[in-house]
Amino acid sequence: MRRALPSILSVAVAVGVSFIAAALTLGSVSQTASAFGAMVEGALGDWPRFFETGNATAVLRPIGEAATKAGLLTLTGLSVAVAFRVGLFNIGAQGQMVVGALAAAFIGARLSLPAALHLPLALLAAAAIGSGWALIATALKLWRGVHEVISTIMLNWVAVSLVENWLVVGPLRATASGTNSVSGTAQILPTAELPRVMAESSRLNLGFFLAVALALAVSLWMQRTRAGYESRAVGLAPRAAEAAGISVSRRLFEAMAVSGALAGLAGGVLILGTELKYPATLASPYGFDGIAIALIGQSHPLGALASALFFGALRAGGTHMQLYGVHKSFPELIQGLALLLVAAKLFWERLLKQRIATRTRSPV
Amino acid sequence: MLQLVDALLSSTLDAAPALVFAALGAVLSERAGVVNVGVEGMMRAGAFVAAVAALVMPTPLGVVLGMLAGAALAALHAWLCIRFRADQVVSGMAINLVMLALGTFLLEARFSPNGTPSIEQLTRWGSGVPVLGGHTALTWLALAAPFALHAVIQRTRFGLRLRAAGEKPQAVAAMGVSVSRLRFVAVTCGGLLAGLGGASLSVATLDRFEHNMPAGLGFMAVAAMVFGRWTPLGAAAAAAFFAFGNALRIGLTSSAPQVLEVIPQGVLLALPYLLTLLLLAGQKRGAGKAPAALGTPYDPELR
Repeated sequence: MRRALPSILSVAVAVGVSFIAAALTLGSVSQTASAFGAMVEGALGDWPRFFETGNATAVLRPIGEAATKAGLLTLTGLSVAVAFRVGLFNIGAQGQMVVGALAAAFIGARLSLPAALHLPLALLAAAAIGSGWALIATALKLWRGVHEVISTIMLNWVAVSLVENWLVVGPLRATASGTNSVSGTAQILPTAELPRVMAESSRLNLGFFLAVALALAVSLWMQRTRAGYESRAVGLAPRAAEAAGISVSRRLFEAMAVSGALAGLAGGVLILGTELKYPATLASPYGFDGIAIALIGQSHPLGALASALFFGALRAGGTHMQLYGVHKSFPELIQGLALLLVAAKLFWERLLKQRIATRTRSPV
Repeated sequence: MLQLVDALLSSTLDAAPALVFAALGAVLSERAGVVNVGVEGMMRAGAFVAAVAALVMPTPLGVVLGMLAGAALAALHAWLCIRFRADQVVSGMAINLVMLALGTFLLEARFSPNGTPSIEQLTRWGSGVPVLGGHTALTWLALAAPFALHAVIQRTRFGLRLRAAGEKPQAVAAMGVSVSRLRFVAVTCGGLLAGLGGASLSVATLDRFEHNMPAGLGFMAVAAMVFGRWTPLGAAAAAAFFAFGNALRIGLTSSAPQVLEVIPQGVLLALPYLLTLLLLAGQKRGAGKAPAALGTPYDPELR
């Protein structure tokens, strides 16, 4: 809990600062307050209306939307967190997500298989290609000493350019049916769709539950297995780990493969759960958000899950702010500000140490 | 044919300043030992502030304010990294995320969702002069700036100290010079240049701020810096080369679409990044590398 304190305080300050910024821009405190109120309502559901009218959709739809977004953020957040734990900075989650999404869209639309095979295969393909994309950066690092920050930035743009400006508009583009012009790849088959949980009222699908399960699994792996222990040791002190007989390069490869697979899976869940095809452009930069989610979660799998739940909810609420003249990406501003504050490491160390000092001094 | 080459050169010279300034800004910051992946966000700030300021004041003054906006963000980055030992990559990415959302929010709340109203572009000079004529002062400046920065970094006392701060900061400290102050100045000046790069997008290349500016150019500037091996001349040459590639691609879509059926546009778009990756993959370990102390906060206790 103590480790979470900097994050919680940062998020609180970020919410406050963004409120002031919005009030100054809109020139009205009451309008800003209404916008923030709409955000909360859009995130947690309109409970008063539910109790008055008994209309379950008023609560289920917002919560479902929040969980859908939280699931995707959890996956990319985990991806960045896992790499961070071995001391690698995977900025490339966005690129890995894009290639994963394309793989899922391709398998989902082009193969016809029974549902029991089709969905797992599409998800597996997304994870595998995301993993492969991340391994390019790992290989460059281990064999050529190329810093992973630089290689993953490059790989992001390579992925986006090749997928969105070539494959999706060229070879993999859906063939137009009748007079309707279509964009993006062909619609995936129903056998590859992630089943929806509340079919009538929300887009919430099994992807969210998969993400939560994976967060728990990664947490167990990191905290309770030998491999996880060794990975953490590599992240904390690579030379000491090497001296202790841990194969550093093996742990780096392993962590980066898992990291890429998680980001690829985020792409798969996005396509098979909500988009149902690869659209003309994948407008959602969940991969870049993963950096913020992971670090606000202090690079801990469960921390990432918690921050993904929080920001997923805010984002679902963001769309409701439009009514008050606030762009729906406003929660991303809160998220960015929180990341900026969390980053000031020394500040938090000093602040928290001071708190310990005052606490021990006070009884005397 | 000659006409085609002329048009291509002209559009390269139009688009290059943004990339050149941003790449130079990144070089300045990284040579002093501070990673700068926040160029994208600093460019966005520069582009937005310049376009908005030019609505109410002369455009050149708007450009200056745009530069200052880039510098302010860079100062924040430097402050977090130097004073509070923030992870430099995290701080840079945070600046990108904040600016992406803040720019969109301000644009939508104050103007229209797509862009700000048109402003008066910077004046284009010397339309009679062959090749170089018909461009704004920024193009001319972009041609001179790499040499100026090269001279500063390689030939002045400040430049020597700056390089030392990026290679072995302890040596700088041993001379009695403050590493923190040196790095702060370098990063902030880098932000000034990144802001100028962004501003040149909204006042010279276009005449307004568009919602997705600079659309990844900041990351391309980082690629140019790496491609140019962290030297001003190399980075500027790489930036100009990438700008030429962009101009060629845009030229091909309008004048020779049949070429794009053989080489798809997406492949051309990915080319700058692919080339940078290939260059990095091809070189030996330790050759043409980043400054030695890049990314590590200066710790006076270490030797």
